[in-house]
Amino acid sequence: MKNNIKVERAIHNITQAKLAEMIGVSRQTINAMELNKYVPSTVLALKISKIFKKPVNEIFFLDAKD
Amino acid sequence: MKSRFLFSHKLKPLGWILFLIGVVLGTILMVNKFDIPNWEIKVFPLISGEDSFLSSPAFEWSKNNIADELASLLLIIGGILISFSKTKDEDEYISTIRTESLIWSVYVTYGILILAILFVFGMDFFNILIYNMFTLLFFFMLRFHYVLYKSKKAIAHEE
Repeated sequence: MKNNIKVERAIHNITQAKLAEMIGVSRQTINAMELNKYVPSTVLALKISKIFKKPVNEIFFLDAKD
Repeated sequence: MKSRFLFSHKLKPLGWILFLIGVVLGTILMVNKFDIPNWEIKVFPLISGEDSFLSSPAFEWSKNNIADELASLLLIIGGILISFSKTKDEDEYISTIRTESLIWSVYVTYGILILAILFVFGMDFFNILIYNMFTLLFFFMLRFHYVLYKSKKAIAHEE
């Protein structure tokens, strides 16, 4: 799975640390997601979609490996 | 995040204190062939083997140096508190690292044990079993904290 969290962060001008704080996770989690090293739970994906005010499938995408 | 089966973050320092005392006591015992320190007290064995040279009779009071028992308990209880106290910012990603480290540690611990079963015999095998009591926790702690450290360092490279 891929995502464009980094792009959305840039659009909304939110740092990794700020986003982590807003959704109540560690900074490592945001970083690991942006590096496609970690696939978040549905709860976390929904929280992120709420922050960026976009549907989940406009932030997270399946890739060829899925 | 709700995490099941984990202790409060506050217990982690206590875990380190108990564990380090256990390491010091265990090392002193190892160096002195388990004779020093000699803290003999009355114990009450529940199980006893056939050989009365090796063990005291069951269901009777007898004397035993409890220094090694104490070191083992400190290492195990301290190790469990270090391993399974929440980190300050425990979340689902850290829980994943935790689970993966535990699986990794089970493989390493039993990998070593399989090698020992194949290539070590008699009393030497028994000695390895003593260390094997602690290796599961020990390898878990090493791997878990190493991966946490690496993922924290990865942040430093970003931004």
